[in-house]
Amino acid sequence: MGNEAIGRGIIEAGCSVVAAYPGTPSSEVLGSLVHWKKELDLPVYLEWSINEKVAVEVAYGASLSGIRSAAVMKMVGLNVASDPFLSAAYLGVRGGMVLVVADDPGPHSSQTEQDSRWFAWLAKVPVLDPGTPAEALAMTLRAFALSEKYEVPVVLRPCLRVCHARQNVRLGEIPAPPDVGPFTRNWTRWAAIPKFRLVLHKELNEKLEIIRSEEPESKPRPIVEGSGKGMAVITSGSVSSHVCDVLASDHRLKDIDAYKVDLPFPADWRAMQQIVDTHDKTLVIEETYPVLELQLNDRRRVQGRVSGFVPSQGELVPELVEDLIVQAIGLSTTLRKPPQIKPRRPTLCAGCPHRPAFYMIKKVFGKAIYTGDIGCYTLGINMGAVDTCLCMGASLGMAGGFVRRGGLHTAGRAGSATHHDRLEGVPEGATVVATIGDSTFYHAGVAALINAVHTNAQFVLVVMDNGVSAMTGGQPTPAGSHLADGSPAKPVDMERLIRGCGVDFLEVVDPYNHDALEKSLLRARAFTYERSSGPSVVVTRRPCVRMPDSQRSDERFVVTEACDHCMTCMRDLECPALNYIKEEKRMEIDPDVCSGCGFCAHVCPARAIEPGKD
Amino acid sequence: MFEMILCGRGGQGIVFLTRLIGDVLTAKGVDVISSETHGMAVRGGSINSHFRIGPFRSPLIREGHADLLLSMDAQETANNAHFLKADGLTVENSSFPSATTARRLDASRLAREIGRVQLENVVMLGFASRIRGFPVSADEVREHLAKDPRDVVRSMNLKALEAGVEAALAPWHKVTP
Repeated sequence: MGNEAIGRGIIEAGCSVVAAYPGTPSSEVLGSLVHWKKELDLPVYLEWSINEKVAVEVAYGASLSGIRSAAVMKMVGLNVASDPFLSAAYLGVRGGMVLVVADDPGPHSSQTEQDSRWFAWLAKVPVLDPGTPAEALAMTLRAFALSEKYEVPVVLRPCLRVCHARQNVRLGEIPAPPDVGPFTRNWTRWAAIPKFRLVLHKELNEKLEIIRSEEPESKPRPIVEGSGKGMAVITSGSVSSHVCDVLASDHRLKDIDAYKVDLPFPADWRAMQQIVDTHDKTLVIEETYPVLELQLNDRRRVQGRVSGFVPSQGELVPELVEDLIVQAIGLSTTLRKPPQIKPRRPTLCAGCPHRPAFYMIKKVFGKAIYTGDIGCYTLGINMGAVDTCLCMGASLGMAGGFVRRGGLHTAGRAGSATHHDRLEGVPEGATVVATIGDSTFYHAGVAALINAVHTNAQFVLVVMDNGVSAMTGGQPTPAGSHLADGSPAKPVDMERLIRGCGVDFLEVVDPYNHDALEKSLLRARAFTYERSSGPSVVVTRRPCVRMPDSQRSDERFVVTEACDHCMTCMRDLECPALNYIKEEKRMEIDPDVCSGCGFCAHVCPARAIEPGKD
Repeated sequence: MFEMILCGRGGQGIVFLTRLIGDVLTAKGVDVISSETHGMAVRGGSINSHFRIGPFRSPLIREGHADLLLSMDAQETANNAHFLKADGLTVENSSFPSATTARRLDASRLAREIGRVQLENVVMLGFASRIRGFPVSADEVREHLAKDPRDVVRSMNLKALEAGVEAALAPWHKVTP
């Protein structure tokens, strides 16, 4: 897998410290490092950091200490880490430091389609852009070498089609970890005040000019040889692989020259311009922003994203690449029937502890506004219990803004609220429930919670604590007692943390204990909205059903004849084990999918779901 | 050159199959490149893998280029049918009877009989391995699965593989009642 190839490259570069935060499509890099560390008994230090900003700072500190380091994240993680990232470009590094930032054109599993090459340009940091897993391994080694040579951080930007592609790669030797010597004090460099930052900025610009003119990767290299005139394609990254295969598969395209730029920033724009000037037409195919295209001075004979020829959004899949190339040379494109795709929507797993939590939140809070967050539990949208999803930790920050509508600072009167009642005294739209997972809470929720307490933001926070970052494969959180490689870690107690933020109402409940969960939410509601005593927090704690410690039940349930097809379970639970067999007009629980949690039996108004054999 | 799409629902072991076939071929020195689905879709959503043998650089198959579609789920077959060549073959996990362009096997039922429906992917692999032109043979897969150090996993996988192979050897009408 591309991510494993990158992990191997990090090992073969003699890297000593790697810090990462999980996020698709980057998550498997650190996992593969754990594998190599154990198998080869390597001295490398690995951590799942609390967030990407800290990961970059850990890696940066290690680099200044003289050893090689890497930080690994997905592209939106670089947004979180942008502060140390941009500053580190000016200050420079000592030991080679590489940021592996995985992009997700599509987007398949992300909030944006942002291009980390563009981000690298903003930061004035060199960026390498691999086209295949094998290239990713080789470029990882080059990234460390360039970083150490020029004393700048270097970004390796694999796209999803590299991260999650599998290919044979040749493994190299593992060296003794390089060391540039211990840190020596020099505050004008490592703690530079603005006056010295100006000097450092100039130095950075000079470094970039040398890289642009001297490093071979910044020059376009031929990947497909055509006639040397006519049409040229300049490309970069994983989409360059589609270009290669498309050109090789169609003899009508044999005259086209294709070039790949391995280091799209700072690219040798003079060499690119020369290609443009010696061809009738040049097509620039890159993902997802026009990074190469914009570095060209004269774009009159260039077609790409700036010219409007290449779509400005979406993944450049091979069919699209074929159409673009074929159209650009004036041939007619293959007629394709639009595929009839009915993609299955993702759902929370059967037995997922988030399901009863969302159900009870809806039951207790009715038409409240539900600010959601990033993780499996974003799928609470399927249950109508997530209304917003912005970025990591935003459920809390946004809740603090939502509650300001209607000036909700004063008390609602204590009402005799039953479950479905509206809350008296609380303005329409001012009841807000934020939901966030445990890993995301540690990542970006804590500061927002302190802010909410301090400003008396009256919302209810439900922390859905399943012990891991479930969506990305079950990575540990700071509450765990083990580091990434299994070595001991000090667990950071969530209750102490929440209380330490100043929260006065905190209850922890097992979401499988349905009645206790409901009562807990009712008490939180009373605390925040009836007594207006500030934000309240309910932690719903149960291990993810996919984890080995989830204690899944062997019990299975059947639907009896008492079922009156009210569809409450289908509508409100959205459990993948529940099927309505239309032809036979009956409900069925798929025993293969069911995890035996029994929540449907608890919810069924007709009491038609009973324990039993299939 | 051989191009194959593997598809199904999240949790049906599509990634496992893709890796297994890739590993068997890689050990033989065959050039393989493949692409997998991870992340949000894995929570019960639509999953497909692209699997290419030959001098390819891209891990993705274009529409109308796949020789074979190995599907764990009939609905997902429809979602991926556009990748198949006009004369491409579908191998599908379903209880419907086979036809000229689609070989079908109720692998879920067979896997359940063995004791775990999760083995349906290995049953399907056993079934598919008997199809002419399939890139790996049942013997090669058997040899690979026999290396698993976990006793229970190894014996269950081998049992599932045999069930699929036997189903392919049986006359079609018996396989798909």
